[in-house]
Amino acid sequence: MIHHSRKPSRLMLAGLLAALPLGGMATAQEITIVREVDSNNYDPQKSVARAAAEALFMMGDTLVSLEPDMQTITDGLAHKWEVSEDGRTYTFHLKDGVTFCDGKEMTAEDVVYSIKRWVDPETKSPVAWRAGDVKDVVAIDDKTVEYQLEEPFSELLYQLTQSFGTIVDKENVEALGEDYGISGFNGTGPYCWESWTPRDKLVMTRHEGYDWGPEFYENDGAPHMAKVTWQVVPEENTRTVALLTGQSQVTQYIPYIAIDQMEQAPNVEVQKSDEAFWTYFMGFKIDKDTVADPVVRSAMNLAVNQEALAEDLMFGRVEPAYSYVSQGALDWDESLDSELLRYDPEKAKQMLDEAGWTVGDDGVRAKDGVKLQPTAYVFAGSTWQKISEFVQAELLKIGVDMQIQAFDATVAWGKLATQEFDMFGMSFPYVSSGDALNLYFRSENMPTPNRMNWDDEETDTLLDKGKTALDDETRASAYGEVLKKVHEAAVWLPLYHEPMYVVHSAEMEPVVPHNNYGAGLYKGLDLKFKE
Amino acid sequence: MIDTIVRRLLQSIPVLIGVLILGFLLIQLSPGDPAQVFAGAMAPPEVVEEIRRDMGLDRPMIVQFWGYLERVLQGDLGRSFISNKTVASELADAIVPTLELMFACLIWSIPLGIAMGTLGAVWRGSILDRAIMAFSVAGVSLPIFFICLLLIQWLGVKWQLFPFIGRGGPLWTVDGLRHIALPALSLGLIFIGPVARMTRSSVLEVLKLDHVRTARSKGLKEGRVILHHALRNALLPVITLVGLQAGYLLGGAVVTETIFSYPGIGRLSVGAILSADYPLAQGCILVLALAFILINMIVDMLYAMLDPRVQGK
Repeated sequence: MIHHSRKPSRLMLAGLLAALPLGGMATAQEITIVREVDSNNYDPQKSVARAAAEALFMMGDTLVSLEPDMQTITDGLAHKWEVSEDGRTYTFHLKDGVTFCDGKEMTAEDVVYSIKRWVDPETKSPVAWRAGDVKDVVAIDDKTVEYQLEEPFSELLYQLTQSFGTIVDKENVEALGEDYGISGFNGTGPYCWESWTPRDKLVMTRHEGYDWGPEFYENDGAPHMAKVTWQVVPEENTRTVALLTGQSQVTQYIPYIAIDQMEQAPNVEVQKSDEAFWTYFMGFKIDKDTVADPVVRSAMNLAVNQEALAEDLMFGRVEPAYSYVSQGALDWDESLDSELLRYDPEKAKQMLDEAGWTVGDDGVRAKDGVKLQPTAYVFAGSTWQKISEFVQAELLKIGVDMQIQAFDATVAWGKLATQEFDMFGMSFPYVSSGDALNLYFRSENMPTPNRMNWDDEETDTLLDKGKTALDDETRASAYGEVLKKVHEAAVWLPLYHEPMYVVHSAEMEPVVPHNNYGAGLYKGLDLKFKE
Repeated sequence: MIDTIVRRLLQSIPVLIGVLILGFLLIQLSPGDPAQVFAGAMAPPEVVEEIRRDMGLDRPMIVQFWGYLERVLQGDLGRSFISNKTVASELADAIVPTLELMFACLIWSIPLGIAMGTLGAVWRGSILDRAIMAFSVAGVSLPIFFICLLLIQWLGVKWQLFPFIGRGGPLWTVDGLRHIALPALSLGLIFIGPVARMTRSSVLEVLKLDHVRTARSKGLKEGRVILHHALRNALLPVITLVGLQAGYLLGGAVVTETIFSYPGIGRLSVGAILSADYPLAQGCILVLALAFILINMIVDMLYAMLDPRVQGK
């Protein structure tokens, strides 16, 4: 009701502003966000791009949301929910008065349709597994949804906060057909789709009347911004100066080299969050001659100085990683903290010597005719070029001669699905330890994303135990054990955890970086110019 | 004149067929798996396989090519694998900004280049001539991305005269003009050099000819001699050069459009090729080939206008 009384005054204000000759005032509700790449489409169930998630979090809503601490599940389209004793049935109670951008009311039927669309094999969603083993989703009444699982899935609520779980409008999906998420999108989010020109820009406008945002946002009404433009700017220097010259008001895509300068610039502010779960690592194919020996893998872990990598190559802007998931992530096993492999090249050499890997005339180690010359597949581009060359140099010091092969991102995924390499470079987002472990270490996920060929029955059992756990302790201990196993076997070489930096104009209120799927601005409800 | 145009049009048909075949083969040979791109990083192999089947990528190459030819002849360029928009609509969206950019670049750089070259020739050996030549050499030798970055640094960041990301709107709007200024300046700067140099040497050649001496001995004013008798004849090689350089310009536009995030065809082609978006990349190649044919035709026509002897042939 308050809402209705507020609307006319806002309209009047807008009219007054438009009448003012001052251009600056009228544009104070518009921002341009620059970013590096565009998404392939904006169909929530079909796109796995971070660029898609960034926009979909703003244009749509999920049943539940994630707070900036990346641990706490909070309200979304559902204001409360219950989980049955056996962990197989989730009952979601939807908020009242939620409408799509076209004005239609959102009901339980829309939720049912969206989740079913996600898991339907016809949709060919690459991430259908994230929805759990869905038995059925039914609408009890207009505002209640029952989510039934074949077996318990302890991560379900976390997965439902992802953009893949965005509630969509059936009529809109059917009307647009192949053009869905390309020429239009009708969601319940704080912003509405206006237009998209692929690889150039996506424009969204305020969803008037929006007042069902998650509770952790200060703003409990419609967003302050009338218009948000996501402008694709592939050149990182251009992005940096666009911020400095006020052509863009906020971005999370600023190169590390420029952050010092940004912090000193009077007209921009830098916000950092350590609750960012995005980790860079190199994995070993553990059944390849070169890196099959666990001693070799551990020694390689000891040989690389992650601190120097973070300091010298990333300008001290990232956290050196010794663990496979951030130590702040949900279900991280704290007993591992003291056992992580840290930089110790002398010990690495000694271990290799003891294991019979002798240094040859060319300074490269070998054993039983196998030369320690692992081939690493990485992504072409400045980031992995820098990282892999650094690792190469470090490894050479202990007699390991890593060979680098770089592929363009479009080729790399296909190449990484083969068995023709010994090591690979990768970075990935996750919501929790379980999220990362289930993705990478299940034997059924060979050859991708389990590119290590980590085929271990006990791991599978533990992962199932964690996945279907009914309480937090069981889940945490099961995942903790898996973490311990894979760390002991040194199947990865962790490099760094990437924190989230959001840089914004000093004319704006401080932005709290969010990290769900690496989309720094999340729902963008608090984006606001200072008054 | 009409004969020339018709002949050129007929000649361009085999060229176009060649472009279609080459474009198809080149794209097939280039690395990248569109199905994998479409499916994303974490997709299980079955899903990728299925997507590949849907896209028709599992069929023999000759079948794919035949299908492609059939569709192109019917005017259907297909849909982009990545954005799922029709290729025709993506191309249409990108052509206008590129044409604007070409226009905005040529409109100032060609006259300026010709003027500089002529001045250099007339005052040959003077300080002005040397300055012009130094500038031209710099323009020829500096890489386009460096010029772009310099302009961003000075005109965009230091003095904040012009914006440097995106396209503000159509060319005739203020915002459109402001946004196109820096890309058009950058592209034009690499264009002035060759044009000025060619004009200068060409005018020097012509100034030695008999008809110029005749014109001077008739007592015509020097300005008239240079503009009417020398420059008109000297322009022929310059036009050839401009035609050739226009191709180079399209290449430069790829870089310029990327640096300035300008949504033109150059940026579209690079994106399409990098993401193994076959239909879109083929469409881009077709459009670029057409542009070349068109530019060549315009050059021929200008030739005919400037030199009546060409028409007779």
